[in-house]
Amino acid sequence: MNWFYFSSPATFYRLAGAMAPWFFALAAILAGIGLYFGFVVAPTDAQQGEVYRIIFIHVPAAWISMFLYLVMASYGAMSLTFNTRLAAMMARAIAPTGAMFTFVALWTGAFWGRPTWGTYWVWDARITSELVLLFLYLGFIALANAFEDPRRGDRAGAILSLIGVVNLPIIYFSVQWWNTLHQGSSVSLRGTSMHAAMLTGMMVMALAFWMYSIATSLVRVRAVILERERRSAWVRQLR
Amino acid sequence: MSHAFYLWMSYGATAIAVIVEIAALRARRARALRMIEEERDIEAED
Repeated sequence: MNWFYFSSPATFYRLAGAMAPWFFALAAILAGIGLYFGFVVAPTDAQQGEVYRIIFIHVPAAWISMFLYLVMASYGAMSLTFNTRLAAMMARAIAPTGAMFTFVALWTGAFWGRPTWGTYWVWDARITSELVLLFLYLGFIALANAFEDPRRGDRAGAILSLIGVVNLPIIYFSVQWWNTLHQGSSVSLRGTSMHAAMLTGMMVMALAFWMYSIATSLVRVRAVILERERRSAWVRQLR
Repeated sequence: MSHAFYLWMSYGATAIAVIVEIAALRARRARALRMIEEERDIEAED
């Protein structure tokens, strides 16, 4: 298989158009299963009661917010190293979805914090570093669109995204490095302290968010390709 | 405040965020296609 064939915006435009509906469908099915586990199968938490069910969106949204940033920065590195247009377009396409999931993680965290900690917000290391992640996404979007020449915007955005990668281990390890109000990880490579049904619901929702992110990024990259390649012959022939 | 309020404020906001994102995606694609169409018309006039 010739992978370089799909690195051309013209061929990737068609491939993305064919793949996006499948990823949207997968996301909807997985979200249905995840919510079923979250609201029907998973038992009520002994300490937190029903409000703990926020974790079925809060935790997957936080995971995906960090994962998407890593993928976006990887595309940024690829565009800087190989000077590929499509990689820069993919980084631009991922950023708004990453920002949306970071906002969802912060918002749902606040609505979990109020009944469990007694406050919507606290400047602890985990929450503050997640807020920095939101600012990094917004900064990337603003910077990439601040230039008349989109290629200069691509380079500036890629450099910012690479600098921002340093925030990811800070978010992840913040609960170990500092004494935070935010609880430590309940899931790690060594195992989990969660009930199996709760864990299943959370994992399935994380998968659903991942599929949704792929779908929206594919749809958005098609729009970016149209905007950037609108004067090329193949776009002119589109009906 | 009952737990239902916090739960539905979280799920509701997430649903709104998803709907807004999908609407923005559709609007951006429509705008890009309109831009191409306009440029095509200008070229045809020339």
